[in-house]
Amino acid sequence: MSANTNPKQKALVIILIILGVVFTAFFGMRALRAFKKFDGHRPPPHGKVETDVELIREWMTIPFISHTYHVPDKIIFEALGISPSENHEKSLEDINTEFFPDNAGYVLDVVKKTILAHQPPPLPDSAPTTDVPPTAAPVP
Amino acid sequence: MSEFLLTQIINFGTPLVGFILFLGALGLPVGASVVVIAAGAFGQQGILDIPTAAVYGLIGALIGDTLSFGMGYYAKDAVQKRLGNSPAWKNATGGFQKNAGLAVFFTRWLITAVAIPTNLIAGSSGYKYSHFISYDIAGEILWIGLYGGLGYLFGSEWELVSDFLSNFGGLILGIVLFGFGIQQALKWQKTKQG
Repeated sequence: MSANTNPKQKALVIILIILGVVFTAFFGMRALRAFKKFDGHRPPPHGKVETDVELIREWMTIPFISHTYHVPDKIIFEALGISPSENHEKSLEDINTEFFPDNAGYVLDVVKKTILAHQPPPLPDSAPTTDVPPTAAPVP
Repeated sequence: MSEFLLTQIINFGTPLVGFILFLGALGLPVGASVVVIAAGAFGQQGILDIPTAAVYGLIGALIGDTLSFGMGYYAKDAVQKRLGNSPAWKNATGGFQKNAGLAVFFTRWLITAVAIPTNLIAGSSGYKYSHFISYDIAGEILWIGLYGGLGYLFGSEWELVSDFLSNFGGLILGIVLFGFGIQQALKWQKTKQG
């Protein structure tokens, strides 16, 4: 850098370079970690009914979970012992705060268990084989 | 913030997607990219109508971008009065005008963290609105199509995509800052030698 360069500009460029290095290192590591989660992970087939309850989050509503996991919302509301009419727009977190304030994570836990207990049976990956095993020819 | 908004999108549907992207384009920390990815996933799950969500989202983002460009535009006189005679400002605005189209386009979908400063600088540096909006539309369509499309593809596993893209954007921003800083340093070095 030239001696007649404005010191403020010089400082700005140094800050830019330092920020660039910090951002690259910080977000680069996080991006790499996020990318590793993709490893071997393919998009789910279209129309697949979700079965992994670990994907349930506290911001979700019960009708949304019911729709995603194909379990009637009535069953989930019953498991929690609350009325569907006044609570269908509330997130799991809001329901927990309102009805079970001393038991953090209770609603999420009950919803996961209820979904696991009431999920429709998984569809087979392929149609069952109709081949009949060969049998011995009848002896005349 | 994002989580509260996701619950509301489930409840109120596509108009809210447009409103959130509008707020995001004004600089409010609403997690607009997360919302676009989630909206794509909700579309795949049959919660939102994808074309309607995309149109609402695009309109919201474009109105927000136009307003933030306008803020820069109306602050132009004050900025000129304060910095107009500074060679650094003249240099910076000249450099911006040369690459403004690319800056607007790439900050819509790749380096979204600096979209608002770009809008403000574009407005205050006298960049033509017709040029701004053309690059803006192209960038926002790509943003909604790419991020929403990945959300659609991954469905209920959209958080994987969101986690990667948000960090990837930060990584690109870091590389750009570093590259720009080095470029400036080399320029000064050349001037010194010449």
